[in-house]
Amino acid sequence: MTATQVNPTTREAADTPPPGPPAVRGIRRPFWTTRRRDALTGYLFVAPQLLGVGVFVLVPVVLAVWYSLNEWNIFRGELTFVGGANYAALLNDPQLPSVLAATAWFSIGVVVLNISLGLALAVMLNRRFRGVTVFRTLFFSPVVVSVVAWTLVWGFLLQDNGGINAALETIGLDGTNWLLQGDTAMISVIVTQVIRSVGVNMVLFLAALQGVPGELYEAARIDGARNSTIFLRITLPLISPTLLLTAILTIVGALQSFAQIAVLTEGGPGLATTVLVYYVFQQAFEFNDIGYGSTLALMLLTFVMLLTLLQWQLRRKWVFYED
Amino acid sequence: MRTELLRRAALVVALAVLAIPFVIPTVWMIASSFKPLSEIFQSPPTLFTGSPTLDAYVEAFTFQPFAQQYVNSVYIAVVVTLITLVVSSLAGYAFARVRFPGANALFLVVLVGLLVPSEVTIVPLFQMFKQAGLVNTHWPLILVTALAGPCVLATFIMRQFFIALPGELEEAARLDGLGRPAIWMRIALPLAKPALSAVAILTFLASWNLYLEPTVYLTSPELFTLPQALTRYTDAYGGEMWNTQLAAATMTVVPMLVVFVIAQRQFVEGLAHSGLKG
Amino acid sequence: MITATKLGGALALATAVGLAVTGCQSGPSEAPPTTAAPGSVDLRMTVWTSNEDQLALFDSIAESYRADHPEIGTITFESLPFADYNTTLTTQIAGGNAPDLAWMGDLSKDLIASDALVPLTETLEATEGWEYDDLLESVTAEFSVDGELYAYPFSNSPFALYLNTDLLAQAGQTLDDDPTWEEVSAVGAAVNQATGKGGFVIRDFNYSSWNTLGTVWPGWGAAAWNADGTKCTMDSPEMVDAFQFVHDAIYVDGSMPGPGTTADFFAGDSAFTVAQVSRASLLDGSFAYDVIPLPAGPEGDYSVIGQAGVGVLSSSPHVQEATDFLAYLTNPENAALLAQYFPPPRESLLTGEKLAENNPKLTAEQLQTVVVDQIPDAITLPNHTNPAEIAQTGKTALDAMWTPDADVEAVLGSMCDAIQPLLAK
Repeated sequence: MTATQVNPTTREAADTPPPGPPAVRGIRRPFWTTRRRDALTGYLFVAPQLLGVGVFVLVPVVLAVWYSLNEWNIFRGELTFVGGANYAALLNDPQLPSVLAATAWFSIGVVVLNISLGLALAVMLNRRFRGVTVFRTLFFSPVVVSVVAWTLVWGFLLQDNGGINAALETIGLDGTNWLLQGDTAMISVIVTQVIRSVGVNMVLFLAALQGVPGELYEAARIDGARNSTIFLRITLPLISPTLLLTAILTIVGALQSFAQIAVLTEGGPGLATTVLVYYVFQQAFEFNDIGYGSTLALMLLTFVMLLTLLQWQLRRKWVFYED
Repeated sequence: MRTELLRRAALVVALAVLAIPFVIPTVWMIASSFKPLSEIFQSPPTLFTGSPTLDAYVEAFTFQPFAQQYVNSVYIAVVVTLITLVVSSLAGYAFARVRFPGANALFLVVLVGLLVPSEVTIVPLFQMFKQAGLVNTHWPLILVTALAGPCVLATFIMRQFFIALPGELEEAARLDGLGRPAIWMRIALPLAKPALSAVAILTFLASWNLYLEPTVYLTSPELFTLPQALTRYTDAYGGEMWNTQLAAATMTVVPMLVVFVIAQRQFVEGLAHSGLKG
Repeated sequence: MITATKLGGALALATAVGLAVTGCQSGPSEAPPTTAAPGSVDLRMTVWTSNEDQLALFDSIAESYRADHPEIGTITFESLPFADYNTTLTTQIAGGNAPDLAWMGDLSKDLIASDALVPLTETLEATEGWEYDDLLESVTAEFSVDGELYAYPFSNSPFALYLNTDLLAQAGQTLDDDPTWEEVSAVGAAVNQATGKGGFVIRDFNYSSWNTLGTVWPGWGAAAWNADGTKCTMDSPEMVDAFQFVHDAIYVDGSMPGPGTTADFFAGDSAFTVAQVSRASLLDGSFAYDVIPLPAGPEGDYSVIGQAGVGVLSSSPHVQEATDFLAYLTNPENAALLAQYFPPPRESLLTGEKLAENNPKLTAEQLQTVVVDQIPDAITLPNHTNPAEIAQTGKTALDAMWTPDADVEAVLGSMCDAIQPLLAK
């Protein structure tokens, strides 16, 4: 025990001067100042969360880097160091360009549709009329349905002889083979994904809209501003922090959405809906190529980080205020 | 006044049409779970069957230990939610209200946890849990979900909430001689009820819907969780037992929907006041 | 749509990760002493059946083996779900938790190539009364390399054509004996016209598992790759003709339900289906049916079987004891018992009557024609090491085939471009 060590949990100890040699200069102060005690509490409070992130996120990421430098033989249990071979394979992979294109389309589609629909629903439901609660419930309800169940059902409905085409027929429209043509397959996975998850964004936007002070609208109306002007000039800027947050959450979610693609289209037809996450899954878990799978996964991680960083930087340009 | 009424009616009609794709899949799933297998793929498809049967529901329980799997999903989700509430409210409070060196840097580290896709970490995590002898137990599902993944989002939500909280109450408490733990416990947490309920909801749903992790860690049917169990309704040749699958899916979805409809107000309000305003 | 299940299983493969860092033992383990202490050897065998009668039969065989072998403590038969069988087994192997013996299907090539299986020929030939020569060559080929057998093909179920005779009668159609594919297609088209139901369905194909079309193209004399699996022949003229037939059946004749259309024969949704004889258990008696050998193609008759083998894992700590048990499990007496459920590989056991004893769905006559007469000359579905990647890469290229105006020859050419590098690996 050195002289300055004090049991930090007893508050009395902080108030009594520590035993041992007195402080060399100035007034003798207790070591456990409020500031220091606060700092310690801070570290203790965040420790469980940091430990969780460290052990269950950061360590695995480092391990994934190691795996990406190796070749596995699953059946022999052999790990062979191959250096940058998996990274070289990345450059020579004939399928990767299509995969990246599909990833881009899917992510853009989901983000744009999810945010615009979420915002539109929030605006429509941000007023009082009979049944508004019912509608909020209906639009939010898919969120509580499990992804697997949800996607299985949409798989049925989107079949050539499924419910969607039958419904279209009754109103005199010709359906198509939704999941077996590149364009419509992509649209299908985007739309089913958005319908399932837009409820969360809708609620977040609702909260943000309710936070806009009513006086601002009043004032604008008195000035004779039109609804569209009010929305663009007042509403949007005021809810822009929410917009930023939902954009980040939605794009991260889009880049990670996997079950719906695997169940609906298996990445097909061709590579039309093979997004990066699904490709990682195929390489690592279906083709047993853990090394290349890890390499692709790290590329995915890089994309997520870059995009988030980009959005975070851009926020200065379009986010109206910050906390 | 008349135009206002018309406008309102138009709005309701538009919303009703928009709601169709949100509602029909669930309705179809429930309706089809009562159909005989041969009717599920009938062309043209029907919504309701003329000869309803409960066979699929019975089959769902006899084919695999579905009741046990139900219990597994519920208890894992509850445990995960409780741990997450404690961990995230502690961390969120500290990041928002307590000054300590390196807080911003540490918060960034936590945020990274929000951005790493689970596909990146699942392989190494499996390796780690295998070393620890915890494969084919519920520990990986509980630990990873409660301390990483959804918990990180929870910490973020809690931080945003506590940042927006006025400081006066806290100051008064400090003057009364309360320490940080006591302030967290007696002042911050009671005030944070909306955020806590939002966190609880989101975490419970995240755990309830977990699919990748259980399929990786669990191999014994009596340890399975529900989403995993749903995909295991296949006959001896790998053919899907569609009606049984739909019946089981219905049983996993309907209780959640009922709870949601009952708690709808708190649910949405909780999220709305969760501090996720940015 | 199938993927929901596939997905679940495939994910479990993450287990595969297990070993690499810990560095499990590689290659065949040393042969343990043949005489072990009493009760010191526990054997585990993974199977994909969960049928209680079949498991009871295995248990009783194991019981009588233990009576004569005091070194054996327990013999466990572990049922793994069929849908995830390969991935779960791979997971166990990679995780250092491999069984001693295992059933296997298309995983066998990878296992053999990785030296993960124990060679059996010597032990089986040396076992008294085992009668190695009784095994049909057509069924051992799949599990042999250079004349060495690595798994005993305990189940050999031929693909056959199932007919919904009710549906045919309803459409006023009959099918000749010994039909050709053209005739099946013509009748199928007529049924489709008359009833709106599907014509013929290649079960489990679903416009995804293209190797199941290997039940069709041998009729045109086509094969997916050459005999040693090094060169893609999906673009051969024979294959082009075979795929032109399938394409016409879908888009010209309407005799085969198109992509995205679900038509389940066993639910009464189609006139014909190609499926293994073992699938007869799915017939629930809701319609009248018949089962006949596969139709003939332009190149004449052919037979295709789907096989399952049982082998000994070389990672087992009890290779010797496990191999001895395998020899007992598959000796002529026990093979006769297994034949109640699984079409056997032994010529002496293959008769229609024997197979009919435990088959309530099919008659002795049907079994004679669709099973017994088919097995000796049968080929298997295309199989190769690294099956999942070849299947997926091929599917990606073949997807272009399933549009009305597809250029059959060009699509097959691009398919070979895609999978040739994988075959050459």
